[in-house]
Amino acid sequence: MAGSTGKKEHYTSMCRMCDNRCGINVYVENGRIVEITGLKEHKWNHGRLCVKGRLGVDQVNAPDRILKPLKRVGNKWEEIDLDQAYDEIAEKIKKIQATWGNRAMSVWKGEALGFLTQEQLSRRFIHAIGSPNYFSNDSQCFVGRWIGYGLVTGDWATQDFINSDCAVIWGSNPPYSQPNLTQTILEGRQKGGKLIVIDVRLSAIARQADEFVQILPGTDGALALGIARQLIEDNTVCHTFIEKYSHGYGAYAHYVKGFTPERVEKETGIPAGTVVHIARLIGSCRPKVCIYAGNGLEHHENGINNIRAIACLDGLLGNLDEEGGNFTSERPDLKDLALYEEKPLRHLDPIGAEKYPVLYDFRKECHTMTVMDTILSEKPYPLKGMILGGANPALTNPNTPKVIKALKALDLFVVREIFMTETAELADYILPGATYLEQSELHVHPIHQIIGLSSEIVTFPDCDNEYIFWKKLAARMGVEEYFPWKDQEALNKWILKDSGITIEKLLDHPGGYEYKPRRFHKYTEEKLPTPSGKFEFVSSYLKEYGYSYLPEYIPPTYMSEPNPEYPYVLVTGARKVFYTHGRNRNFKRCLTAIPHPEIEIHPCDAEKLDVKTGDMVTVTSIVGSVDILVKVVHSSNILPGVTQITHGWRESNVNLITHDDRNDPIDGFPLLKSVEVKIERKAGEVNI
Amino acid sequence: MRFITMDVTKCVVCRNCEYACSFQQTGDFRREDSNIRVEYYDDVKICLPQTCMHCDNAWCLEICPAAAITRNETTGAIEIDSERCAGCKMCILACPFGNIHFDKVNLVSRKCNLCEGEPNCVSFCISGALQYTNSQNLYRDNREIFQRFVENLSKEIK
Repeated sequence: MAGSTGKKEHYTSMCRMCDNRCGINVYVENGRIVEITGLKEHKWNHGRLCVKGRLGVDQVNAPDRILKPLKRVGNKWEEIDLDQAYDEIAEKIKKIQATWGNRAMSVWKGEALGFLTQEQLSRRFIHAIGSPNYFSNDSQCFVGRWIGYGLVTGDWATQDFINSDCAVIWGSNPPYSQPNLTQTILEGRQKGGKLIVIDVRLSAIARQADEFVQILPGTDGALALGIARQLIEDNTVCHTFIEKYSHGYGAYAHYVKGFTPERVEKETGIPAGTVVHIARLIGSCRPKVCIYAGNGLEHHENGINNIRAIACLDGLLGNLDEEGGNFTSERPDLKDLALYEEKPLRHLDPIGAEKYPVLYDFRKECHTMTVMDTILSEKPYPLKGMILGGANPALTNPNTPKVIKALKALDLFVVREIFMTETAELADYILPGATYLEQSELHVHPIHQIIGLSSEIVTFPDCDNEYIFWKKLAARMGVEEYFPWKDQEALNKWILKDSGITIEKLLDHPGGYEYKPRRFHKYTEEKLPTPSGKFEFVSSYLKEYGYSYLPEYIPPTYMSEPNPEYPYVLVTGARKVFYTHGRNRNFKRCLTAIPHPEIEIHPCDAEKLDVKTGDMVTVTSIVGSVDILVKVVHSSNILPGVTQITHGWRESNVNLITHDDRNDPIDGFPLLKSVEVKIERKAGEVNI
Repeated sequence: MRFITMDVTKCVVCRNCEYACSFQQTGDFRREDSNIRVEYYDDVKICLPQTCMHCDNAWCLEICPAAAITRNETTGAIEIDSERCAGCKMCILACPFGNIHFDKVNLVSRKCNLCEGEPNCVSFCISGALQYTNSQNLYRDNREIFQRFVENLSKEIK
């Protein structure tokens, strides 16, 4: 760490221990990475780093890393030569495709290895071999907001917190999920901006909120519509924007009339007075209002429409594409590696595209919950092979028993990984993956309109980087024409070809190269990328598919049809400081601080259940049950009747009890954040 | 001289600073090994980081019978020489802020030494609550913050 960086070689790169991609200094001694610190000149993190970022050193050097290709022989793993592994895998893919058709093969992109280029390469490969079946973690993370905002504004804006008069953090806890965003949010607040945090739990960011609004899980749409009603009633809306640049305001304004503060109170548990108060606070700060919708909005039965309802506030406030508001950034002109135009395969019925056409339209992404049923039932057609890179669905997808059963049923399951994950354990072949410190990729930070290059700093003999992996496999599959570049550098050069940006420029700007100065109010000159070219309070596109035209509010099932057998509502997925989804549990010092999973419950519920912190309980939903230790939190932290379990723990895997078949009808996201459960004290259990 | 300043309006008690400091001391993430402490008071929603202020008139330094506590001429940090420390805990008694703790394994007192002029807690503070700044900047920054506070207050009154 600091002060111990004597004669080491110094490199700059970007962190990928989460999605923020902070600028980092990487120090190498005798060919080994020994230190990672925050890069002062990087515009995103300004030299600061979280402890998760420093864990990159542990990850790359970990003694439990997979460094040799492994093949399953019976119930054992055998080391296998890398080239032979590629040969055997390619032969098996060919056999599957010859027997069952090209679409019987699939790829699944995870987050542990690379970033956007990784995604694009796997999309490219699977299309090159004639299958449309690209899966990723995204079909249950982030894409819900991408689609929700895309339906309304045509783009998912980023937030200009630093220049904002009012920041609304809705269902997100940046200190743990996007650590270095925190300094920007709080700097904006120190400059005089207000901070409103809307969440089920009093999260870390909520500790500094001017207004913390504690909401019942899955009821956010009602609050957004109630805020809209109040803004319209108070006439704190931007008439010019509504009249000139929006579509469907009349129907929307009529619809929100029903969401009086009293009704919102009934739906969300938020006092009517608070609803009016925060609507007035937001209204008084317009147009410099940032609204960030987090992952907490996804994973609900009415998720997309709740997100649409929040996105619609931008149309009222006129904060869209405003300095200090929700800024729609321009992207650099990067070449697209995916083959959707060159080689469209929509006619081959991508898994889940029929059931969730919006997901496919927006993201060209198949549905990871449907694929488990497809593998097991062979309907609508057999899916027999999968190549998965750096994902861990056996821990992070809902309904774990089904996931394990399905992945085991594959004829060929190849996993590229750094560690022996719960998913890797199910594979036929495990190929050692390269970490982000072993490959070079392009990264864009939209808020600053900067682009940067992460660097290949070290290499390990059998750990091919993402590009080389796909290139080698493509060569064996007879589709090398799609992977003509010699190496990553040549690939990066090609991606940049039309952008006017060169690799040299990027190397000269380790803190990020500004590819275009920011422009505001672009919608006054250019149409918004929606079907109507305007801001869509209503969606004819959704209506054509039979979905709701308006951002309609439907209360969660636990409220509309309470089941006395399952009286508690369980939220899953709150982030913890060291852990990114299923990762980092193999680093011992993280376990010193946060040693095990817990169910967070309110003191009143603890009393009712006669449990205290450290007791063991059984949590049961209609899907299954899980044993877990209790953590009784402060009464301000969570509402009575509401509980939280963080995902990604093998010891008490919450996805044993989550639903894979109660999905948002529009984007197919699973219900993970308002699961009806019962909690029982585990008899005879000794306290830990 | 530069100080670690702690802004209670920015701290979110994420504890990155504690873990980074603990790691620097022992290679582990143990809160008790950290020289910086962060507390969250649920009832009043207050976030409070606390670390050594390297007092001009440092009582810990004056009271140490083993002369183990000295001021580092380069960084200005008040440092404990663990070779000399006899483990008598007088410094712990003397510090009115509770910024010195006792290392039960090595039987010596421990405190912040500003990491030789590049404090780890600040580098790992993701909220911006911790800054490493000199007294001139501190004076200027605090004035600016106060001015903005007054401006906003007058806006609200209007």
